Amino acid sequence: MTRETTQGTSRAPAHTGVVGRSLPADDAAAIVAGDLEYVTDRRVDGMLHGAVHRSAHPHARIVSVDTARAASEPGVVAVLTAGDVPCNQLGTDSENGAVLAGDVVRQVGEAIALVAAADPETARRAADLIEVGYEPLPVVDGPDSPAPVTVHPRGNVAGTLTFESGDVATALSSSDLVVDVDTTTSAQEHVAIETPGGMAEWDLGKITVWCGSQNPGLHRKLVAHALRLNLDDVRLVSNPVGGAFGSRNDDPAPVYLALLAWHTTRPVHLHLSRRETIVAGPKRHPYRTRVRLGFDRAGTLRAIDSRAVADTGPYVTAGRNVLKTSAELSSGPYAAPNARFDGTVAYSNNANAGAFRGFGAPQVAFALETAVSEAAVELGLDPVQIRRANLTRPGDAHSLYGHTVSRSLRASQTLDAAAAHPWWRDRDAWAAGSAGPWRRGTGIAMAIKGVGMGSGKGDTARARLIVSATGTVNIWAGPNHTGQAIGTAYRQIAADTLGIDHDRIRVHVGDSELVPESGATAASRSMYAGGSAVHQVCGRLRAVLDEPGVDTGASFDDVAAHLVASGRAEYEAEFVLPDVDDIGRIPPEALADYAPHAVYGCSAQVVRLEVNTLTGEIRLHGVVCAVDAGVAVNPGATVGQAEGGVAQGVGFALFEEYRLDAGVPVTTSLENYLIPTAMDVPPIETVLVTGHENTGPFGAKGMSEVVVVPTAPAIAAAVGSATGFWPRHLPMTPERVRAGLSAMSGEGTSERSGRRSAAERARTRARPENMSAEPAEGAS
Amino acid sequence: MSGDSMRVNGTPARGHDPGARLLDVLRDDLGLRGVKEGCGIGECGSCTVLLDGEPVCSCLVFAGQAEGRDVVTAEGLAPAGELGRLQQEFVDHQALQCGYCIPGVVVSAAAHLAGADHVDESSVREALSGNLCRCTGYSKLVAAVLATADDGDQA
Repeated sequence: MTRETTQGTSRAPAHTGVVGRSLPADDAAAIVAGDLEYVTDRRVDGMLHGAVHRSAHPHARIVSVDTARAASEPGVVAVLTAGDVPCNQLGTDSENGAVLAGDVVRQVGEAIALVAAADPETARRAADLIEVGYEPLPVVDGPDSPAPVTVHPRGNVAGTLTFESGDVATALSSSDLVVDVDTTTSAQEHVAIETPGGMAEWDLGKITVWCGSQNPGLHRKLVAHALRLNLDDVRLVSNPVGGAFGSRNDDPAPVYLALLAWHTTRPVHLHLSRRETIVAGPKRHPYRTRVRLGFDRAGTLRAIDSRAVADTGPYVTAGRNVLKTSAELSSGPYAAPNARFDGTVAYSNNANAGAFRGFGAPQVAFALETAVSEAAVELGLDPVQIRRANLTRPGDAHSLYGHTVSRSLRASQTLDAAAAHPWWRDRDAWAAGSAGPWRRGTGIAMAIKGVGMGSGKGDTARARLIVSATGTVNIWAGPNHTGQAIGTAYRQIAADTLGIDHDRIRVHVGDSELVPESGATAASRSMYAGGSAVHQVCGRLRAVLDEPGVDTGASFDDVAAHLVASGRAEYEAEFVLPDVDDIGRIPPEALADYAPHAVYGCSAQVVRLEVNTLTGEIRLHGVVCAVDAGVAVNPGATVGQAEGGVAQGVGFALFEEYRLDAGVPVTTSLENYLIPTAMDVPPIETVLVTGHENTGPFGAKGMSEVVVVPTAPAIAAAVGSATGFWPRHLPMTPERVRAGLSAMSGEGTSERSGRRSAAERARTRARPENMSAEPAEGAS
Repeated sequence: MSGDSMRVNGTPARGHDPGARLLDVLRDDLGLRGVKEGCGIGECGSCTVLLDGEPVCSCLVFAGQAEGRDVVTAEGLAPAGELGRLQQEFVDHQALQCGYCIPGVVVSAAAHLAGADHVDESSVREALSGNLCRCTGYSKLVAAVLATADDGDQA
């Protein structure tokens, strides 16, 4: 459908606009008072408590499951295993795994049995009393594993994506400079502060699940599928919830809850521990990414050659779509006449990887931006200049796919906004202040990220509106709120579309029974898609209000009463995200397989830091985050998203590494999986780049993912500028930095300095084409 | 069962199991569910409460250790239905997102404002360093606390 309300902004009536104002989140006062009841805070009389028995092995056949001792514990009401699940599969794809493993476990922490008991301690004790007999299988500990088995019968390759435009090999061989960067990035854990859980009740043939979800529609399907229920007999209430970041996209906790409540016909509460959340929950895919960039002497990009191997762990879930995003963003914001992406997503017995804010972008952007930064050094060009000169211009063709890049892309303005900050302009003075082992540096990097699920997907958000006879406008809309105050933004959009006070508007999100299916809180789409649907549904009411004789200047109470009395108080609308205008080189029948985006958000970031050349320690002194969000509907909330995104980027860059040893998790608590504290995150200066996305509500578009992406490569570039050592592996721990600095000053470097000789460059060109998943050279 | 009582948000509370975690007594016995559990091992700070004015992780304190002492949770920082100055600054600064960590953050901040000789950005960051927040990047939290300190009307 076409959007008919794009012009609605011009209608903004006499009412004082609230779009563009920093309104606190609707639930802010309840939060600071400790009064907001999250899904895991829910309690009802007579409820049972759930617990999960999980696999101790990364890969094993299950020989036996003995539940006798657990079942005989006083207080235990139910012990469920694979045979108790009506349809024992998480969704329709068998490679997404079972609800409860019955034959084979493919990951430490995989769920094998569920317990319901009178109190939480009994439930946990009973879960521990379940005895599982295993026959261990060889462990596939990564995409290069020599293990003589595969994780799934069809093999260890979960998916591939290759695409080429132009002739990359020829372009590289004729380039004046080829920069070759071979990187690894680590599995990152979301660490939403509320661990998964909630409550479920089975009543009158219907199941209601209160559990955090970024995708209530998907979770409803997972529950209905596992229990063989009619979709309409499953209700998911998915907030308030304590953080998400991708972790609640296909989390199985709602299915566990539903299964326990259905079996026991009693309310069941479940709240997973931090340890089981870290061990069993999804991670950002660890990647190996190798990028080769060909430039001419003037610094014009001739070719981008990107190869990526992603480790998706035992089940594919979001893996293929993550790889798809990596492919589209492998050329970043840059224009090159020749581009190639060759990607594989592979199974292993490592951590289950899934959706994480940025969704395949941070991994490839780290390699690409590092390569661009190093090219600037080699060519003697300013890092901003080389980027600006090679940016894809709005309306131009995308380097890889050739689709039209949105005219609202403001990559150039975003880059300039970051570079205009004193922390960039004064970088020489900053470096001159280096003292002793502390070397000062400044780095810059940038990224784009698509908004929505991409072309060919039919990505749609919907909204429903009912005017009450007493003058309140109730709106049910999605995507859901997981912390970004999206309901408040919907209210702002509604108020300005309708021209009424925002206090009269109530927005309801996150209830699958009431909110029309609007897709996931994912892909930077909530503001753009959900906000557009709200704008649209309010536009319908507005059109009625504008009819002669309806809005007579009486109070809105009177108008509302009139609307109700005349049967014109209810409205629905949907917004279908636009596909790209021109699909370029993508075969039309395969559009959804590549799913290029019509709209991109952009961020450019500057990092100022010090590196201790004796210890490898990095001290951040500041991050500038320039971000193009189109029009910021709620600027304070938008800045909050930027700051939070940068902090997660800092963690990805410096600390966060979910480690396993032969499939056995090592970093299983917040004692050894470290996320940034208030002392680790430096001052962040966010610059909202003024823009207007013509297809978005009041000019807004998505920005909450792209802000995560440039932080790590900007930090790496600052380390490079400070020391000459260019990190290739994330996180940049003191050990890795120290090893890299040592190697740089000696022979046989495993980490290469950005300043390379012509002979080295020649070797680079001669390097063999094939790439395994682990760097051949010793990782520092 | 304990015969002694602790005072929770100014009200005597008795009858709790002295061997239970203070966190569980507050949440489950007393219904103070602003005290959140995020890790259970004293790393995340979501369960922070004041024990005789000192911030502690209530997951690491036995209820018996609180006997005869004053416990204050986020719910007790202001009279019911009202917000204290510090809490209002968090609202006004949009210093929260999902909000799950925030009751603990506010309690740590209140202790810092009440106890520190001098409050500046560095001291606030240190005071909040035991409270993990995954949403905000901390900048707005720090700003809200500093704004409260500037007002001189602490917590």
